[in-house]
Amino acid sequence: MSGGPPKALPSTGPHSLRDMPHPLAGSSSEEAVGGDSTPSPDLLTARSFGDKDLILPNGSTPAGPASPASSSSLLNRLQLDDDIDGETRDLFVTVDDPKKHVCTMETYITYRITTKSTRVEFDLPEYSVRRRYQDFDWLRNKLEESQPTHLIPPLPEKFVVKGVVDRFSEEFVETRRKALDKFLKRITDHPVLSFNEHFNVFLTAKDLNAHKKQGMALLTRVGESVKHVTGGYKLRSRPLEFAAIGEYLDTFALKLGTIDRIAQRIIKEEIEYLVELREYGPVYSTWSALEGELAEPLEGVSACIGNCSTALEELTEDMTEDFLPVLREYILYSDSMKSVLKKRDQVQAEYEAKLEAVALRKEERPKVPADVEKCQDRMECFNADLKADMERWQNSKRQDFRQLLMGMADKNIQYYEKCLMAWESIIPLLQEKQEANQEEESVSRWASKMPSVTANSLLLVKLKPPQFTATFLGTAAAKVFVSNY
Amino acid sequence: MEQAPLDPERRLQPAPLEPLGLPDAGLESVVGEEAEGPRDEGPGDGTMTENNFWLKKIEISVSEAEKRTGRNAMNMQETYTAYLIETRSVEHIDGQSVLTDSLWRRYSEFELLRNYLLVYYPHIVVPPLPEKRAEFVWHKLSADNMDPDFVERRRIGLENFLLRVASHPILCRDKIFYLFLTQEGNWKETVNETGFQLKADSRLKALNATFRVKNPDKRFTELKHYSDELQSVISHLLRVRARVADRLYGVYKVHGNYGRVFSEWSAIEKEMGDGLQSAGHHMDVYASSIDDILEDEEHYADQLKEYLFYAEALRAVCRKHELMQYDLEMAAQDLASKKQQCEELATGTVRTFSLKGMTTKLFGQETPEQREARIKVLEEQINEGEQQLKSKNQEGREFVKNAWADIERFKEQKNHDLKEALISYAVMQISMCKKGIQVWTNAKECFSKM
Repeated sequence: MSGGPPKALPSTGPHSLRDMPHPLAGSSSEEAVGGDSTPSPDLLTARSFGDKDLILPNGSTPAGPASPASSSSLLNRLQLDDDIDGETRDLFVTVDDPKKHVCTMETYITYRITTKSTRVEFDLPEYSVRRRYQDFDWLRNKLEESQPTHLIPPLPEKFVVKGVVDRFSEEFVETRRKALDKFLKRITDHPVLSFNEHFNVFLTAKDLNAHKKQGMALLTRVGESVKHVTGGYKLRSRPLEFAAIGEYLDTFALKLGTIDRIAQRIIKEEIEYLVELREYGPVYSTWSALEGELAEPLEGVSACIGNCSTALEELTEDMTEDFLPVLREYILYSDSMKSVLKKRDQVQAEYEAKLEAVALRKEERPKVPADVEKCQDRMECFNADLKADMERWQNSKRQDFRQLLMGMADKNIQYYEKCLMAWESIIPLLQEKQEANQEEESVSRWASKMPSVTANSLLLVKLKPPQFTATFLGTAAAKVFVSNY
Repeated sequence: MEQAPLDPERRLQPAPLEPLGLPDAGLESVVGEEAEGPRDEGPGDGTMTENNFWLKKIEISVSEAEKRTGRNAMNMQETYTAYLIETRSVEHIDGQSVLTDSLWRRYSEFELLRNYLLVYYPHIVVPPLPEKRAEFVWHKLSADNMDPDFVERRRIGLENFLLRVASHPILCRDKIFYLFLTQEGNWKETVNETGFQLKADSRLKALNATFRVKNPDKRFTELKHYSDELQSVISHLLRVRARVADRLYGVYKVHGNYGRVFSEWSAIEKEMGDGLQSAGHHMDVYASSIDDILEDEEHYADQLKEYLFYAEALRAVCRKHELMQYDLEMAAQDLASKKQQCEELATGTVRTFSLKGMTTKLFGQETPEQREARIKVLEEQINEGEQQLKSKNQEGREFVKNAWADIERFKEQKNHDLKEALISYAVMQISMCKKGIQVWTNAKECFSKM
């Protein structure tokens, strides 16, 4: 273990924190902590085994920028740890229990956020708070501000524009809850973001609004510096890998958009199909009322179609609630990622410009001035963070889409299985009396009804092999169709 | 009862049977050169037991359809489709079938045949023809009569019609039907020579009877209601089914778009690429599977259509009964009024209005001789009327008996066929579900490899 783990991730370097009052100081007893336990994330150690002995005491935070090399190797180790799922986790966050609040001015929903953690940053092992969408939005903005070199996960859409969707309907609330849960879990899984103070406050503060009002500028050093990067520098050449990422994201977002449109179109067609089915089934019932022997079979078919309709309705609901929102989230995700990429470009541009300016001033010795060094440092950190996040993002994207698409396939399989069961169950109903009649087939059937005509008198008509003629007069209709697939 | 010995060498021998109710069908005179060998005369009493029973297995098929151009009645060029009808006799010995007849017919000739059967067998529920024009179409189906799919389905429908007629115990023996299968040229003239068009009941007369009849057999009234409702419900069913097919088609086809976009997406992915690409292929398979599925369903629709048209045939039998019953009632009424007149003339009381009565009043009484003459005429008429009434009564009863027998036969056939149709429909649905499960399972596996 290197002597200065905190320096590896300057974005959360306690350097800036030391200047600030403890965010949790002066709060209620539930959150009271010792004055000296400024959260100083020792990521490596905290990740590994939560061994508190390894956490550096206050104050011993090294100054100066970390070298990108060590940060990336650190991140690699972290990534490894990420893969050992569950065992090395020391932070669990869940969103559940939506509740409606009716006030004079407005009505809104809050969700319960449950946090369990062994990290020192949390004074208590467990927290339970209630938050509303606004609060999530606040958190995200804060994260973007304070961690501009990282990719912040997306939130579900703020406004529901399409259709007449009830903001308080069970389905909508559940969809949103799942998305908010995913949002927090993504942050939890992130080795840097999960240690962010705003995140901590969000998870633990009794009164979040008070904190919001305090207007704490818990900006990291890099955050602070990136914030002040002026635009207007022209980027000379984007490193290949970031150019590739940019192109990838462009195409990715495009394809997702197409998939979203296709999925919506499918749902729309399915709903229209459902409408027709709902009219189709009952007609068999109407017919059944006219008939004697056919009444039961017809009624059976009607019920069957009804069951299929219900199954279809469930499919469309599932797709709307589970599939579309995730697609949209990823589109939002890639949008926010693109803006981070732009910022990175800006940082690089500024550095290059300053470097060039220095090169032109021949009086200066080859020694590089401090502010240009800062720029370089900034840029390299940004690049490292972004690269690491991109890899992480690629991995979870792959998992997420695998799960999403498998889920879509599953729902369709379940739909067909339900329909299959319905139709298979009425076959015996339809066939039972057929067996009884089989024996009296063709010839004798005529004979028994026409006493004056003997069996031998009839023209026995052989049917042509092709299946279609068989369906009209034959008995083997059922056997004909089974083998089509 | 005699039975014709099974003799594969012998050509198809019809036993010309007088159509019921028409003592002098005049068919005897229509003899094609094919008729050879011993033939039983069909007696005019309309029973079947005495006739020549012949056991002959034949196969009838409408095997081909061909577009033709020709000149129509107004010497204008027209395009029509001709259908090849082949008749084979099935030999027992070596199981081989020998082609005995083969000729081409067009739809209008089928119509002619059916109209003839309707006139000569009014007590029979005559099998219907497939629709003249494409109805109940959905967007993918063409409403064009020359469309190959429509022609194909019609070919099957026409074959089915012939098979139904051939397997009907009474209709199969009809000479005109036999000639339809065997005599290409001149058949139309032959049919027309029977003069059946003249014997057909006018629609107006039938309509009138339907409204005015006082005492029809209750069963026929019920049957009429049933056939009306059956027509209505099957039409409704076919219309909605067409819409359902349309929508289902849309659902499947849109999935095909996934194929393309997955393929494009896979191009920018490293590990996910293969899984996406192969999943996309399965989406294409899924999208294209709907064509066969819906083609099969069209045959189900055709089976329903047949019974939709059968409902009309049922109605026709009911109409005939109403007509006969009305005729009977009118004859009875007429007879009663004549009797009344006679009585009045005899007794001198005038209760009924008659023109003679009026003129007598106006211009003076008639002489006793005149009256006697009138009475005599009336008595003759009454006699005749009573004879006619008796035979009409008998005819009516015969008709009811025979018609009802055929209706029972039809009911059995209908129940059997429709149950079969429902079973095959269920089987189609099951097959569709299984295909769906297969495709999505394959896709799921591809996704799992992403």
